[in-house]
Amino acid sequence: MAKTYQEINEKIAKGEAVVVTAEEVIDIVKKRGVKEAADYVDVVTTATFGPMCSSGAFLNFGHSDPPIRMAEITLNGVVASGGLAAVDTYLGATQPSNDRGIEYGGAHVINDLIAGKEVHLVAKSPGTDCYPRKEIDTWVTLADLNEAYLFNPRNCYQNYNAAINTSSKRIYTYMGILQPNMGNITYSTAGELSPLLNDPLLKTIGMGTRIFLGGAQGYVSWMGTQFNTACERDEKGYPTTPGATLALIGNMKEMNPAYIRGAVYEKYGTSMFVGVGIPIPILNEEMMSFVSVENKDLHTNVLDYSVSKGGHPTLKKVSYAELRSGSVDINGKIIKTSPMSSLKVAREIALELNHWIKKGKFFLQEPIQTFPIGNALKGLEIKEGESR
Amino acid sequence: MITKKILLSFPKVATGKPMAMELIKTYNLDFSILKALIDDNIKGTLLLEIRGEANDLNAGIVFLRENQIGVKEVQSMVVVDEKKCISCGACTAVCAVNALEMDENWSLIHHEDKCLECMLCVKACPMRAIHAVM
Ligand code: SF4
Ligand code: SF4
Repeated sequence: MAKTYQEINEKIAKGEAVVVTAEEVIDIVKKRGVKEAADYVDVVTTATFGPMCSSGAFLNFGHSDPPIRMAEITLNGVVASGGLAAVDTYLGATQPSNDRGIEYGGAHVINDLIAGKEVHLVAKSPGTDCYPRKEIDTWVTLADLNEAYLFNPRNCYQNYNAAINTSSKRIYTYMGILQPNMGNITYSTAGELSPLLNDPLLKTIGMGTRIFLGGAQGYVSWMGTQFNTACERDEKGYPTTPGATLALIGNMKEMNPAYIRGAVYEKYGTSMFVGVGIPIPILNEEMMSFVSVENKDLHTNVLDYSVSKGGHPTLKKVSYAELRSGSVDINGKIIKTSPMSSLKVAREIALELNHWIKKGKFFLQEPIQTFPIGNALKGLEIKEGESR
Repeated sequence: MITKKILLSFPKVATGKPMAMELIKTYNLDFSILKALIDDNIKGTLLLEIRGEANDLNAGIVFLRENQIGVKEVQSMVVVDEKKCISCGACTAVCAVNALEMDENWSLIHHEDKCLECMLCVKACPMRAIHAVM
C-alpha cells in the first residue's frame, strides 16, 4: 500500500515510524520481499562522508564602528571573496592559505569555526563615504557572526569513477596517491549506503528535501553543479558513471566539527570531508526496490588518471562489491583497491539520522520541485580571439 | 639475539656522555643510528636499532634511563593519531605491505610490526593524522 509524506510524518510524530539504514534494509527485503517490506519500513537512511571540493560557507561579520566595506578579506590567512556586500563573504573550501598553502585552507577555517575556535579576520578597503574604515584586524568566533551557513554547490556525487595509473610514474590526485604501473586502484563512495544511489531517478530527493548536513538539519537547495542525469545507467536505472549531484545548505552554528573536516591531498590541494545523510521515504514498492540495491549490483568504471587528454580512458567496469573486496583483476593482474571516503563515519551518520527520526526530532520534507532527468553535461570549448 | 627499535630523548646534560661506547662495551650491544635530531642544544632525539641478548638489552635500557635519557620502544616509524583519523582509507592505498589496512568494519588498523618505513602514508593522509615518530 502506498504511503504519503504526511502519513510517514504522522508516524514519526507518534514515535511509530520504522526507520532502518540503507544497509540494514537489504536483509529486510531479502526476508520479507519488496511488497511486505514496503509496508513495514517507512524511512531508509542513507549517508556519505567523503571529500567534496565544491563546498564553502557564506558568512556575515556584522558592522564595525566606523564601518568598513571589506574588499580584501582573509580568515586565518585564507582569502575569502570580497565580491559581495560590505561584510558578507563566501569562503571556498579549497582556497589555500597565504602562509601554509594547501596544508591549511578554507575547509580548515570552516572546521575551526564550527569547533568554536577564534579565527583571525583581516580585511582592507579603499574606503568610501559611507564606509570610511580602511583596515580591520580582529578575531571572530562562529557565535560572533550574524549568519554562517554552508552552501556547497556540488556534493553527494551519485556515482564516481575509480582511479588507476598506467604510467611509470607515481601521480598525486584528488583520488589519492596512485602508484605507477597500475600499482593500486582508489574509489570514493558509500556504495549501497550512498544517498543518490538509493534514489537513482531522484523521485524523493529534490529541492527542499530536508537532510543531515554536518550534524545539522540542512536542505537540498538546488541541483548540484555538473548535474548529469543523462548519464549511463544500467537496466534498472542506477547510474554507472558520475550522475546527479546536489547543492546543499545548512546552518554552521548547529554543526558538529566531526562531520565537516578539512582535508589535504598531497600535491593537489585542500578539500573538505562533508557528512551528509538523506532520508528516503518508502512511499511505495518502487522506492523499496530502489533502496534494496547492493554493492554487487552497483557499477563504476576504473579510469586511467595518468592520461588527461580527451578524458581519462576507461580500463574496466567493476562492481562496488569487487572494489570493496580489496582487489580487482585487470588483464590478469590482481590490483589492490582502497577507499577514499569513510564508510565508517557514513554509517555513524546514517545511524544518527535514524535516531533523530525515531525520536521525532527530524521530519521528512517533500521536495518543492523535483530535478530534471535527462540533463546532459557540457564541456568548455576553447574559442580563439582576444575580443569579440 | 633480538633487535629493537628505540627512540631516545636526552636533555642537554646527558648529550655529552659517551653513552654509545658504554652500550657496546658494558652491555655487548650493537646498534645503528637510524635518525638523529638535535634541537638547538635543548633536547636531542635519536632513533636507534639495537641488537643483543634480551638481558643485555634490558640492562642497557636501564642504564640509559639512569642517565636521564628517555627511552621509548617503537615498532613502526609512523604513528597514527586515532583522534584525527576518520578511517577514510587513503593511507592504505600506498602501503605496499598492508601495515595499514581496513578491518571488517572499515576502521583503519595499523600493524606496526609490518612497517617498511617508506613514509608514503604520511603524505597520503588527508587528515594529516600520520606522523613520523621523529
Ligand atoms: S588516511 Fe589518515 S584519516 Fe584516512 S584512514 Fe589513513 S590515517 Fe586515517
Ligand atoms: S611508512 Fe610505508 S610501510 Fe610503513 S605504514 Fe606507512 S605506508 Fe606502510
